Amino acid sequence: MRRNITLIMLFALVLALMTLSANAQDVEKLKFPKLSELKVPEIDRVTMDNGIRLYLLEDKSLPLFHVSVRVNCGSHLEPEDKIGLADICGTVMRTGGTAKWTGDEIDELLEGVGASVETYIGTLSGGARVNVLSEYTDLGLEVLSEVLRRPVFEEDKIELAKVQERSAIARRNDDPQQITFREYRKIIYGANSPYARHSEYATINSITRDDLVAFHKTYFHPQNVQIAVWGDFDKTALLSKIDEFFGDWERTGEPVSKPPKVDYEYQSKVYYIKKTDVNQSNIVMGHIGGLLTDDDYADRIVMNNILGGSFGSRLFNSVRSREGLAYAVFGVYTANIMYPGVFYNYASTKSETTAKTVQEVIKEIKRIQTDPPNDSEMRMGKDGYLNSFVFKFDTKQEVVTRLMNYDFYGLPEDFLFQEKENVEKVTPNNVIAAAKNNLHPDALHILVVGKGEDFDMPLEQLGFGLVDTIDITIPSAEEKKELAITPENLKKGMEVLQKAVEAHGGLENFKKVNSISIKGTYLLSVRGTEIPIAIEWLRVLPDKNKSVMSVMGQKIMQIRNGNSGWKTDQMTMELTAMTEEDIADDKKNWNRSTIHIFASSDNPYYQAVYDGTGKVNEMPVTYMELVDKDDAPLCRLAFNSETYELVGKFYYDETPLGAGTIEETVSNFSQISGVKLPMTTVRFLNDQKMSQTDIAEFIINGEIPPDAFAKPE
Amino acid sequence: MVRSVTHVFVLLVCLSLLYVTTVSGFDFSELENSVTEFTLENGLKIVVLERHEAPVISFVTWANVGAVDDPKGYTGLSHMFEHMAFKGTTTLGTKDIKKERQLIAVEDSVFLELRAERKKGRLADSAKIKALEAAYDEARDASYEYVVPNELGNVVEREGGVGLNAGTGYDLTVYFMNFPSNRLELWMSLESERFLNPVLREMYKERDVVAEERRMRTDSNPFGRLLEEFLAVAFKAHPYGIPVIGHMSDIQNYSRPAARAQFEKYYGPSNLTVAIVGDVKPKDVKKLAEKYWGSLPYRPAPERIATVEPEQLGERRVVLEDPSQPIYLVGWHIPEGTHPDRPALEALVDHLGQGRTSLLYKNLVKEKKIAMQVAAFAGFPGDKYPTLVAAFAMAASGHTNEECETEIFKEVEKLKNELISEEDLDKIKARTKATLINQLDDNQGLALQLAGYQVFWGDWRELFQELDRINAVTAEDVQHVAKKYLTKKNRVVGLINTEES
Repeated sequence: MRRNITLIMLFALVLALMTLSANAQDVEKLKFPKLSELKVPEIDRVTMDNGIRLYLLEDKSLPLFHVSVRVNCGSHLEPEDKIGLADICGTVMRTGGTAKWTGDEIDELLEGVGASVETYIGTLSGGARVNVLSEYTDLGLEVLSEVLRRPVFEEDKIELAKVQERSAIARRNDDPQQITFREYRKIIYGANSPYARHSEYATINSITRDDLVAFHKTYFHPQNVQIAVWGDFDKTALLSKIDEFFGDWERTGEPVSKPPKVDYEYQSKVYYIKKTDVNQSNIVMGHIGGLLTDDDYADRIVMNNILGGSFGSRLFNSVRSREGLAYAVFGVYTANIMYPGVFYNYASTKSETTAKTVQEVIKEIKRIQTDPPNDSEMRMGKDGYLNSFVFKFDTKQEVVTRLMNYDFYGLPEDFLFQEKENVEKVTPNNVIAAAKNNLHPDALHILVVGKGEDFDMPLEQLGFGLVDTIDITIPSAEEKKELAITPENLKKGMEVLQKAVEAHGGLENFKKVNSISIKGTYLLSVRGTEIPIAIEWLRVLPDKNKSVMSVMGQKIMQIRNGNSGWKTDQMTMELTAMTEEDIADDKKNWNRSTIHIFASSDNPYYQAVYDGTGKVNEMPVTYMELVDKDDAPLCRLAFNSETYELVGKFYYDETPLGAGTIEETVSNFSQISGVKLPMTTVRFLNDQKMSQTDIAEFIINGEIPPDAFAKPE
Repeated sequence: MVRSVTHVFVLLVCLSLLYVTTVSGFDFSELENSVTEFTLENGLKIVVLERHEAPVISFVTWANVGAVDDPKGYTGLSHMFEHMAFKGTTTLGTKDIKKERQLIAVEDSVFLELRAERKKGRLADSAKIKALEAAYDEARDASYEYVVPNELGNVVEREGGVGLNAGTGYDLTVYFMNFPSNRLELWMSLESERFLNPVLREMYKERDVVAEERRMRTDSNPFGRLLEEFLAVAFKAHPYGIPVIGHMSDIQNYSRPAARAQFEKYYGPSNLTVAIVGDVKPKDVKKLAEKYWGSLPYRPAPERIATVEPEQLGERRVVLEDPSQPIYLVGWHIPEGTHPDRPALEALVDHLGQGRTSLLYKNLVKEKKIAMQVAAFAGFPGDKYPTLVAAFAMAASGHTNEECETEIFKEVEKLKNELISEEDLDKIKARTKATLINQLDDNQGLALQLAGYQVFWGDWRELFQELDRINAVTAEDVQHVAKKYLTKKNRVVGLINTEES
């Protein structure tokens, strides 16, 4: 290939030659023979009667036989509360046995001859890989058909997959780079997006064998399956074998839904994740990327090479070589076919140069919008692509699997050749235009993972506004879903509450309540024993409350009169003053009381938030969460979904028996002065029965002794 | 006439029977016949394997130098030079080599003065240091004015090169890249020039880059942290116990003259081996090699260390309290890669810890579910010198290093007390055959293998003997090496326990 040497280069060449020693070479002088015309090998395409599409490429250079299967299914199809289902399904299809063999038997069969068959399900596609010496082709194909068509999902192997998933969750915060890229995808796509979400203990625990069987059954059928084969085989014999193992696979099932779109808003924001066992920060900044089918895709290829491709790119030159700030640094605007990619700019630098590195990277992102690539950069960015084009076809594997993928996505077979043609046309101005149209240095999400106390500058001072600190603590299995306090849920919550008030006697009757007098039994369950305690309780609104508990001949009293009172010290059995904390506790208790909640429903001291439906003791209920004005939890109420009668009450409390969630279920309703209230309450603490209250006498607005709240003798 | 032809025919048939593949044999002769080797006058060895499947070539330059050759006080220097080999030459990467050379000399002398003053510690003159620091910054900036950054990488990429990279290990430094087949001469020119006229420009900034690499791979990575402690404890005398990337204080101490000296000592052509696999004609390679590589001046073979790691007097153990989840690592001392005991050890680690049917996987992962990942391997961290066989385990959540260790030791005892079955041995051999054949499928991998075997064994043909060596292993051999090497006294353990936050 003749090289065109421009006048400038010739001049430089002459200058260089004048200072050279006799032996030094100059690469610019070299002439290269022309590369022979690229011959893309012919691929045999066959569509079976049941819809399976085959792609065959013979290669007898080595006695190896390879298969790559693509299945149209992915984790984007799994339900939100079972994240990890697709991944586990993909794993256990291979490990969990089939109709013909157990999982362990398959392991022995394959490893006994150095063969491998693996299955997987990713985000947008699933599949399998087979790699065997060609003398074992039949074995490879038979095992492949078994794991794809007839997996039995042995329970033990499901458990094994779950153990491994849980262990991976436990380890997911050990490696700072892993944290960085995982969290960044959530920032760009949204934490709940299938392109970013990840499993948690709770979602793994919820996956059952039925789920796996159903997922496999729904998506693994012939019209979703493509099979690429390359290596040492004879076409006729192979087709016959494939027909034997896959020909009778029945075509069933519905079409697979398309993966969801991405909702993205350009925004400038900084995020920080604290990691203290490091002396280096991991930094990513960028925003959403593009699609393969975008018009300026070819321009972006060249732009990427120049901005942050590799040796000699702008980011490499400045952040790594010139400034010595980082070993690992790159910048790339990625594009996918089905959903947009990400514009990533990454660098890892010692903690003390974190802010400086962020600024250097931003400089380069801005510069590629204004500073056109010079000749040397264009040669690297554009010629580099063109001259290395042959490497897109140098292995049989990439040629045949690429065709399989293009076929699925409906891309033309010569897509890469079209791309090459477009790259050939790219000019420096095109690169600038692509940078201007696609890059937004004023709307970057910047994530820093590292040890903040060692940074050269607090991230707030970078000039991108407030910093969002992301908590990556791994949630425990029992983590409750967050309460959604939305206008819709508040409206609905109020509706539910009003219905409940009506069902229990109506707002007017509740507002008439001025005093409540209760006599009954409190049965305390402690370590298998039940202790009956006689209780007497008198409350006069708004802030007087007297309770007397008689147990084993002893009386334990508490008398609150406004903001002070007395109580029996349970150690000395003597009367002592109520503390501020005691008063506050009583206030809290009153705020949880059904009467007070109902009576205040027209002017509430709380927010009533609708929180879905469920079951309590097999009864369908509607949940309502009460939170105070600062969104702090008060209690959760469960009403019968049809009658709106109170069924249960749940709240967090600290008791002498321990702290935790109290679950109250109520029954045995009575009508008193126009209001309907339960006479029996059973309480559980952390799933253990704690107590039961049975009310024998319940009087509203009765006579109150004059010295009821005076200090007793 | 007919009789003699039949005679010859029968003879040929008999001869061919000698090459018939057994159940676990494979005929590498076709491949071997595609290899050509030659040595230049200056000692440079070149191995070429012709493959015309695709119009591409994979190149590997293997320098017989690694971290074991780092001088005292300059741990990681071999790796540092590997970085320097990307900085260009007298013609590549500079705007004016004459001026640049002068400024580099100034930069070096200021740096050495600064370093000498700093080394005085508390007795140093702080005003002098300040002045020298300012002078150093100025000298460095001045010399960088003449740098064309990363021109080597730039040229390689624009000419269609892919996979440009390099790596340093304990025993080796390898440089590799792949080109379309019409760029053979370009590679010859660039690569030979790199080791003929390297200019170690931007040295002091690159030192910072290496420091970042250390922070990334070791300091800020739990596995890296554990590995460094483990090796330090496993090797008290031999440099396999010193990190390849070097200690941070040594990295900060590098000078250009020191890096240059390392290059002069170890990069003589007789210490370099080139492997080329792909769409080439050996006679073209020879002609171009003589033209370009031939100008490297002969240098005598460098002196090698003679340190032999003494036998351990007792088990060694290092325990890290670390925020990370548990990691467990155990190793036993074994001989170097070319030792006759090694094939049996390879068979042993395959049976012990490679694949779902291995002893460790069946026990710890499948049956007891106490580990999420477990494996065994031999020839770690190097293979030119006596080294280690090792196993590692990542405990499943809720399980401990102790549990994993108990089961690992149980399986090791099995290997010592029981003979592995003939069936299992056949399976090991079948796996080895499949692995070796699969390795032939990748040009770059094959180039690395050819160069490696040429350097370690003195003959690239030994690569193709590997299967025969494994096929000769008996069950008694495996038990014998298990008993000989996998003892408590010979054992090193390193682990990370999760510290209470």
